[in-house]
This record gives sequence, structure tokens and C-alpha cells, in this order.
Amino acid sequence: MDPEAARTARESLDLAFHMSNILDTGLDRHTLSVLIALCDLGVNPEALSAVVKELQRERSPSTPMPTPTSSMP
Amino acid sequence: MDEEEQTKLIDLLRELVVRLLSQNPQDTTNPNFQNSFRYALRILSSRLTPSIAPDAAAIAESIKRRLATQGNSSDALTFSDLFTKFSSKTGPGSVNNKWAVLYLLKIISDDRKSVKNVISSSNLLPNLGLNESELSNGSRVLNGKEDKKMSWRNNGVLLVNKDPENLRDVAFREYVNLVKEENEVSEEVLVRDVLYCCQGIDGKYAKFDATVDGYVLSDLVKVPRATRVMVRKLCELGWLFRKVKSYISESMDRFPAEDVGTVGQAFCAALQDELTEYYKLLAVLEAQAMNPIPLVSESANSGNYLSLRRLSVWFAEPMVKMRLMAVLVDKCKVLRGGAMAGAIHLHAQHGDQLVHEFMKRLLRRVCSPLFEMVRSWVLEGELEDIYAEFFVVGQPVKAESLWREGYRLHSGMLPSFISQSLAQRILRTGKSINFLRVCCDDRGWADAGMEAATAAGTTTRRGGLGYGETDALESLVIEAAKRIDKHLLDVIYNRYKFKEHCLAIKRYLLLGQGDFVQYLMDIVGPELSEPANTISSFKLAGLLETAIRSSNAQYDDPDILDRLRVKLMPHGTGDRGWDVFSLEYDARVPLDTLFTESVMARYLRIFNFLWKLRRVEHALIGAWKTMKPNCITSHSFTKLQHAVKLQLLSTLRRCQVLWNEMNHFVTNLQYYIMFEVLEVSWSHFSNEMEAAKDLDDLLAAHEKYLHSIFEKSLLGERSQSLYKSLFVLFDLILRFRSHADRLYEGIHELQARTMESSLSSRDKNKSSRQKNDKYTEPGSWLSDGRKAVTQRAGEFLRNMEQELDALAKEYTSLLEGFLAQLPVQQHVDLKFLLFRLDFTEFYSRLHPIV
Repeated sequence: MDPEAARTARESLDLAFHMSNILDTGLDRHTLSVLIALCDLGVNPEALSAVVKELQRERSPSTPMPTPTSSMP
Repeated sequence: MDEEEQTKLIDLLRELVVRLLSQNPQDTTNPNFQNSFRYALRILSSRLTPSIAPDAAAIAESIKRRLATQGNSSDALTFSDLFTKFSSKTGPGSVNNKWAVLYLLKIISDDRKSVKNVISSSNLLPNLGLNESELSNGSRVLNGKEDKKMSWRNNGVLLVNKDPENLRDVAFREYVNLVKEENEVSEEVLVRDVLYCCQGIDGKYAKFDATVDGYVLSDLVKVPRATRVMVRKLCELGWLFRKVKSYISESMDRFPAEDVGTVGQAFCAALQDELTEYYKLLAVLEAQAMNPIPLVSESANSGNYLSLRRLSVWFAEPMVKMRLMAVLVDKCKVLRGGAMAGAIHLHAQHGDQLVHEFMKRLLRRVCSPLFEMVRSWVLEGELEDIYAEFFVVGQPVKAESLWREGYRLHSGMLPSFISQSLAQRILRTGKSINFLRVCCDDRGWADAGMEAATAAGTTTRRGGLGYGETDALESLVIEAAKRIDKHLLDVIYNRYKFKEHCLAIKRYLLLGQGDFVQYLMDIVGPELSEPANTISSFKLAGLLETAIRSSNAQYDDPDILDRLRVKLMPHGTGDRGWDVFSLEYDARVPLDTLFTESVMARYLRIFNFLWKLRRVEHALIGAWKTMKPNCITSHSFTKLQHAVKLQLLSTLRRCQVLWNEMNHFVTNLQYYIMFEVLEVSWSHFSNEMEAAKDLDDLLAAHEKYLHSIFEKSLLGERSQSLYKSLFVLFDLILRFRSHADRLYEGIHELQARTMESSLSSRDKNKSSRQKNDKYTEPGSWLSDGRKAVTQRAGEFLRNMEQELDALAKEYTSLLEGFLAQLPVQQHVDLKFLLFRLDFTEFYSRLHPIV
């Protein structure tokens, strides 16, 4: 991967992460990058969001305290 | 998806699950992880296509708007800034599916918010998420989650499977599955399809099916029956729309080539306007349908969501209108002009206020050309009707038949909101104007029209009247008709002196002017006794002139005398002058409308009858002149032999009696015709002429006048036989006259012979008489002696007496027949004639059967 592309990718991820924070999605940077990659593979975002929601909710009753990822900058 | 991508996807997903569960990546054997991973895979494979259009900008816009409405305007600004930057990143290394990323973020954010709201309740009541949004969403995701929850709780806390409420859970699940299976297409997509269909465009799923003749959802799409029916119902609007639209475009395409007509054009324009309204509504609905509504999330029941049901409410009113329009279009396909307006009017009689208003609006537009035609016709007499749509039809005719045949009502084009009487009035008013303009060369009607318009309170401008103002139209027409008819009658009476002409016709053609007729009879008599083909009409015209000059007629208006002509009718062989001679009156424009050729022909027939009657009377009077007994003749017979003298006296007596009888008949008939028929009819006619309000009245009065004369003078159809026997009687009387003449010639000759030996003073007398008698044939008896003379005289008198007897017999039988026929006639006045003829009951006593 050439450095130009890598830079663009990083910047894009930064921007997306910013937006994600504004929207208060509770996703960390890494998860977001995985999601973006999945989206680029053509996965239906509705399905993805459902997965995210379900898994997050599954976890929340077992671990009542907030996830460390959501508090990350 | 090829294998490489597949594995990549699996890896990424595994990573994701791990991240989300915050577990050790190495611990992939954990059953919890395995469960979650399988679950995630299932979710992903169940949703292959997103339910919204891939439009990054629209999604971003929607997010921004929501942030702004939540009060985070600074966030919104930051977000839009970030989005601009984000979307500007292109090329290698950048995110390809930007819209997907955005959409993902948006949904996750939405989900988190709603989860926060319900989290406490779902914690406490884990059996079923009973909140409506979850139910309406009704996806497998829920079930999966519940399953998970159950199995997860099975770790020893409690067993919910035994819970009786779980039955409900199962039922709900089944229901949800069912709904999911049936609903392959989301409602929102169907709404969009329906909206397309209603503009006559095929949607993605709902398409026009020519076999069913309507828009239907294709059978391949799996939707519940109720939805299918609903879509079908809603798409009726589309079908109707197609119909109306195609009619409009058809008639507009056809327009320059074929004559659609102004009413048809107005109808199309009005329909087009209604369609524009309809388009506006559709545009609004479409905008509402396009409003970004979260589709997966549980907050789906937001207010502006346009469901099929809502659509059906929205479509209720346009559907009524569109149906009406479609019905009208169907009706009007073959109609045009007034007929079209009438057909539309029939639909306007509707109790529904909405329909009524709609039809009224439409009709105002449709009828405006028609009302304009009425207005210009009534006020200006212009027939602006190039497409033959008006209910008055004009025909190119000669000036004299303009009134009768120039214009007529076309009942097919008469819309039902204009009554027959009003239409007649409209027709007559315009006709009067045209009559004034063409025949009378008059310009005064323009003022009359103007006055009428001001009196009726309408303007003379174009477009002053419209549908629904039939009263105004009627009052305008009535005012105009009143004034124009009055003006027309004024012109006819005063300028064209109709009355004077009628009187002149009565005096000359109906022989009302006695002295004139007497003179005319005297001077043309000898001429008319010649065979018809030797008579010159110029000579007769000169004689007519002489008759006028020598009678009181000379003081009449020269214009009237100018119009009096001699007319010789076409004659056959053997016709005498008497048979072909007649007088004629030249009516000229515009009075030839009243005195048409057929009317003049009837006058001519009356004239012929009266002329014959006059001639018979004249002949009888002429006979009387010769028959008059005087002392000179009676004295001269004293010298005759007794036998001859007796015979002579009896013959003379026979002749006198017969003459008297005939004279009685002719005089009474003459009297009857003159006083009971002509004068009475004339008096009625004069009264009606005064009362006439328009030309039609006048025509009717004149017609009645002629008809009454015709009927009473035995000229009508029903008295044909009577008329014939009358003419036989007349001929007999004329024959009698020639007989009487011959008798008296013979007597004069005899007298001359007997006088030969008498005094010279007698000679003088005789020679003067001989001069008078043109028809004598002297010399037949001259050579004979006195004896022979007496003998011949006796023979001649015998012959004469026999002939007279035969004549009298024939006359009696004819008269008897005539009198017998009289009471059979239906006309009441003929009874008076009988009464007059049989005043002394002489005839009825003679033949008591009669």
C-alpha cells in the first residue's frame, strides 16, 4: 500500500471516528475501522448495525459498567 | 462474493465480534463467543439489500437535521464540516462505501438512544420486548436476541420456558415470522410505486397490466392479499388519470387537422387545469413520502410516514374528481359543441357539494364559448360558429327566404340548461337582426341591442355571461328580443308600409275596389274572349292602366299602383283569355318574406275564383240589359200572330225566371264572399296585426287570414267537390247567357222583319238597334214571305224554349247538388251561405229531403 493511500485511509478513519463520536455511537477506533472494512466489502449497513446493537446489548447486562472503548478518545 | 473476500469477511466479522464482546482474541472457543459469532453471521446473511437508496449526501443531511433539532447546532455544524471533508476523500485508500459507513453510524447512534430508553424495562421484564416499536419492526433480530437471552439466562437463574407467557411469546414470534415472510417489499416502496402509478408511470412492482386493464402488483412480488387489493384500489386513480390524459392529448393532437371545436377545446383546457391541481397534490405527497424516515429503527412510527392507508385517505377526493372526469371523457368522446355542454350539464345535477362545485367550475369553462356565441348572436346577429357547435344553424339562402329557412335550431346541439322556448327566442332575435341587416338594410338594431344589454344589466363585452347564470341570459335575451322585435315591426309597418300593401292586395287582388273591377271587366272583357294564345299581355297592361285611371284607384299611392301587374298564366290549347288572365302584386324585398311565392300563389287562386265570380255576375248583368222588358219591344209584338205571340211570351218568361234564379244565387254568393269572408277575415287580421309582437306573430296572423279566406271561399282541400260543382254552375250560367243572347237576337231579327212594312220612323229605330247587335246574321229570313217568317219564328222559339228548359233542368239539378253538399262542409260560415241562399226555404220546400 503506497504511503499516499495509507494517509488518505487514516484521515478518512479519523473523520469517520469524529463523526462517530459526535453521533455518540460508542464505537472505538478499531471497531470502527473493522466496520468500515466490512462496509467496503459490500455488507449491508443495516445488518451490521443490527450485529453491533445486539452484541453491545448482550454485553451490557453482564458488565453493567460502561465499556472502556466508548470512553476512549 | 469470491472465496478470498468471503474469508476476509469472516475474519473481519470475527474481529468485530471479539472487539464488541471485549474478549481475549485467543479465546475463540468460548461458547458465548461461538454463539455470538454464529448469530452475527446469521444476521448478516439475512439482510442482503439495504432498504434505502445509497445516497450519502441525503443521509448526512438527515443526520445533520436531527442533530440540529436536538439542540446540538454546534455538533451539527461540526458534523457537516466533517462530512464534507470525508466525502472529499477519494482515490485509493479512501472509504468506498461512504453512504454505508454514514448510514451505519446513524443507525447505531439511533439504536443506542432507544436502547437507553428501554433498557431498564427490558432488564426487569426479559420475557418479551413489548414496546410497539420493536413489534412493528418485527424482525428476526428480535427473536434471535430473545433466544440468546433465554439461553444465556439458563445459566441457572430461572427457566422462562415454563412461563405461561411464553406461549404468547411463541405466538408473537410466529406472527412476526408470517409478516416477515409475506412482506417481501416494504410498504414505503409500495407507496412510492403507487405514487408513480398515479402519474401514469409504471412503478418497480406495480405495473400496468393490459390484460386486466389496470395497475397491479406483479404476481412475483410476495405481499399479503390485503396490501395487493389496496394497491390495486389506489392505482385506480392512475388508470383514470391515464384515460383523462390520453383524451386530452388525443384531442389536442387532432386539433389543427380535425375540428375539435371551441367547446371541446375549452373542455380540454379545463381538464388540463384540474390535472395541474392533481399534479400539485402528487408532488406534495411525493415530498412527504421522501421525507427521511428511519426505517429499521424502532422509532418508525413517526408522523409523516406515508402509508398506503394514509394514501388512500389522501386520494379520496382526487379519486372522486378523477372518476367524474373519466366519466365525462367517456361521454364526450363523440360529442361536440352544445351537445357536449349538455352532456356535462347532466352530470352537474349532483347532491354532493364537492361534485357540484367541481362540475360548476368545469362547466363555466366549457360553456363560455357557447355563451359567447349566444351573446354575439342575440346582440349583434353574428354567427361565430366555425365548428358548427351552436344550436342555431345558418344556411346560405336568398333574401326572401332568409326568415323562414335561413336559420334553424339544431336540437342536437341544444344543451339541456337552455329551454326550448328560450332557444326559440334566441333564434328569433338573431334572425331578426340578420333580417334587418340583410333585407331591410337597417342599422337601428345596434342601438336596440345596446339598450337591451344595459336593461338586462349585463355588459356587451365578451365573456360577460357564464354557466349558471341562465336567468341573466334569459333576461338579456328577453330584453334584446323585445327591443329588436319592436324595431323590426316598426320598420316593416312604417318604412315598408306592410299594412298599406295588405290593403292594396285586398282591394285589387281580392277585388275589393268595386269601381276598378267594374271598369276592368268592361274593358278587358272583349279581349279576354279571344283564345289565350292570341292575347298580348302588353295590351292587357295598357287596359289595366286605363282601368286604374278611370276609377278611384288613380288616387292611390303610385308606389302601390306600380306594383300591380297583369299576369298571364301558362295556357293550354283551347283556353280562352278568361282562363289565363290574372292580376299580380309585386311585393319586393323585404316584404317578400311575408308575401312569399306560395302566399302569392294562393292569392292568385283566390283572385281567379273571385274573378270568375265577377265575370259570371257581369255576364248576368249584361244579359239583364238585353232582357229588360220595355214598352217598345212589347208593343212591336202586338202585330204578331196569336199563337206565335203566346209562344214568344212563354219563352221570354222562362228566360226571365231562369235568370232570376241564377241572379239570386250569384248575388248571394257574391255577397257572402265579400262580406262574410273577405271583410270579416280582414277585420280579424287587422286586429292581430296590431297585437303582433314579432315577425313570427305577424306571419302567423297573415297565414291565418289567408287560410280563413281560402277555407271559407270553398278553395280548401275539403271543399274540392263543392268548388268543382260551383264551377260547373258558373259555366252553366255563362252558357245561359249565350242562349239568352241568341234568343234576344232572334227576337230582334223577328221584330225587324215584321217592322219592314211599318212606318219609316220604326225603320230608324230598327236600324239603330241593328247597329248595336254585332252578332246578328241578317239575310236568313229576308227572302221569305210573312208566312214563312211567322213559321220560322215559331220554330225558333220552340227550339229556344226546349233548350232553355234543358238548361233550367240542368241548373236545378246542379244547384240542388250544390246546396245538398253545403251542410256537409265543416266550416261553420258555409251554413250561413246556405241560409242566405235558402232564405225563403224555397229550395228546402222544393225538395224536403234536403
